[in-house]
Amino acid sequence: MSIARQLAARFGGPLTAAILALLGIWLILMVTLPQLQMIDYSLRPNLLPDQRGGPEDGWTLANYATLFANDIHRAIFLKTLWSSVLVTLLTLGVSYPLAWYLAKVATPRQAALCLLLLIIPFWINEILRTYSWFILLAFRGPLNELLMMLGLIDRPIRFLSGDAGVMVGMVYAYILFMVFPVYNAIESLDDNQVRAARDLGAGTLRTHRRIVIPHAKPGIATGCIMTFMLAAGSYAVPALLGSPGSRWFTQIIYNWFFEGGNWNQGAAYAFLLLVLCIGFMSLVMKVFKVGLGDIAK
Amino acid sequence: MDGSVRLEEVVMRFGDFTAIDKTSLTIGSGEFFSFLGPSGCGKTTLLNMVSGFLTPSEGQVLIGGEPMAGVPVNRRPTAMIFQNLALFPLMTVFDNIEFGLEVRGVDRRTRRATAERLLALVALEGSGPKRIDELSGGQKQRVAIARALAVEPRVLLLDEPLSALDLKLRQHMRSELKAIQRKTGITFIYITHDQGEALTMSDRVAVMSAGRLQQVADPVTLYRQPATGFVAAFVGENNRIEARVIERLGERVRLDAGALGELEGRVGEEAGLGVGVEVALYLRPEQLRPVAADAGGMTLPARVESVSFEGAWLMVAARLEGSGEVLRMQLGSEVSRRFADALAPGEAITLGFDPAETVVLPRDDGPRVDAETGEVVEASDEHR
Repeated sequence: MSIARQLAARFGGPLTAAILALLGIWLILMVTLPQLQMIDYSLRPNLLPDQRGGPEDGWTLANYATLFANDIHRAIFLKTLWSSVLVTLLTLGVSYPLAWYLAKVATPRQAALCLLLLIIPFWINEILRTYSWFILLAFRGPLNELLMMLGLIDRPIRFLSGDAGVMVGMVYAYILFMVFPVYNAIESLDDNQVRAARDLGAGTLRTHRRIVIPHAKPGIATGCIMTFMLAAGSYAVPALLGSPGSRWFTQIIYNWFFEGGNWNQGAAYAFLLLVLCIGFMSLVMKVFKVGLGDIAK
Repeated sequence: MDGSVRLEEVVMRFGDFTAIDKTSLTIGSGEFFSFLGPSGCGKTTLLNMVSGFLTPSEGQVLIGGEPMAGVPVNRRPTAMIFQNLALFPLMTVFDNIEFGLEVRGVDRRTRRATAERLLALVALEGSGPKRIDELSGGQKQRVAIARALAVEPRVLLLDEPLSALDLKLRQHMRSELKAIQRKTGITFIYITHDQGEALTMSDRVAVMSAGRLQQVADPVTLYRQPATGFVAAFVGENNRIEARVIERLGERVRLDAGALGELEGRVGEEAGLGVGVEVALYLRPEQLRPVAADAGGMTLPARVESVSFEGAWLMVAARLEGSGEVLRMQLGSEVSRRFADALAPGEAITLGFDPAETVVLPRDDGPRVDAETGEVVEASDEHR
């Protein structure tokens, strides 16, 4: 294998063997085995300790079937899917103009300042950031106060314990994962492409639709996939900003594990969520006609 | 269709830096007009003011007599060919050419017909469905021309479009561009730092330096009657001898060239050549020739420094006995055969010239062109 040979040329035989061994152990012990364990869990019924290994202990798809039999869980599953798509689209809508501004409009100074302002909040833990939104969006919180003061509303709006709060919180939480790939993609576009389109008569919208967006497609796809995965797998934001009105599938999984004590069922649900994410990713890649290689860039 | 372009006292400043000093100029409809100058002279800035990418700090641009102030890039009757062509790499050749028409809401069939016609004009029939990266450099060039022509501009702006091509192709594309310009009758405004391009293609050339027009003239006048020292040095090759005016003799002036004795030269375009004025005498390398040491007329004793074979001619560098300056002399093959023996390094040689073929210009403080490197020297470095 050429990688091994390259490493050997640089570090010598014994060290290379050690590096590869560590890598192998890490991949097997920390990544592969736990996953296999979870697959095994998900395929077995939840039994009392003394029933394990008994006649009832065998592989079955019953845990997976639960989701399709339970109307509420299925609804939450679909709602998580739909809401994550919505979060992704909203984040893209917010991030694209921002990325365009950073990449092509702002002076280097402005861009640096703007990036700094974007990044600083991420020095704080996600839970704390979500809590700050909890305060901002509260029924008697600053946002409602402001809107009332401006006379835009007569009485406070209940932002929390519903989808609106979750959307706001998630767009905020994952904006960087969208902005950076899109920004990188737009940055690499030759300015003359945009100038040429303008020169040939194209307005702003058409220039973006025909020139900038097609060029930035891999970046947009990357951003969408990351945002969707994070949104679908998010626990803190819906738990803090959405409950009890907006439940996320991750909360059901959590409940199976830690409240229902049914790891087998939880594992099955977790894998269903994983399948959903992989499905979404393949769909996006197909729609945007990009390969894994484009995204890895 | 009036494709004339008029610049009225335009000034372009970027902060403290003045890229274009007050400039007025009229380019006729259907003219092939070039801006020639070293990089950084402001020629691209001028082009961007015509295309609308830049708004002049002062003055105005008129196209076809209409003021362009407030008219955005996408509404101007111009089309630009970019230095890097800026073809759309994700589109086919057809889509590239049709882009401007698509924007204008032209229907698909008319678009395709126009694209086919333009591809025929640039000799690329059948390349329509190809991807841009399947094309060679010259083919890309042609697609860029077709794409710009598709929107039927009144003025085509070309920003050094040939600079990325190799020499042979570049020379070929020159005649091609000229032919396309004649066929379409569109005003071409061509930006280049390559004097060969400017001289061979243009009806008129504006030589620019440091944000100012040095001279606007047809190529022959530019070469034979340079108006400033910068033009004399930048357009073609020129030897320069510093001197002082002793006497005006009508079209000619008698000069005191210090150690080189008295010389005569032809008065250049500028009239300010009174007695005692510091001037420069410009001698083209092809106007110098070896003569017998006792020949009459203008002679300069020298010693051959080096001889380089350039194919159709020999380039001889000779150091003047009087001043130690090196002059370059270009000899056709016939002359060089005749003087074969005298043309070895170290041999004594006498250079002769006809004063009628020279130009005498007042010494100005403007930027100059270094004779050996061809680089532009700013006014402040003018001590040698």
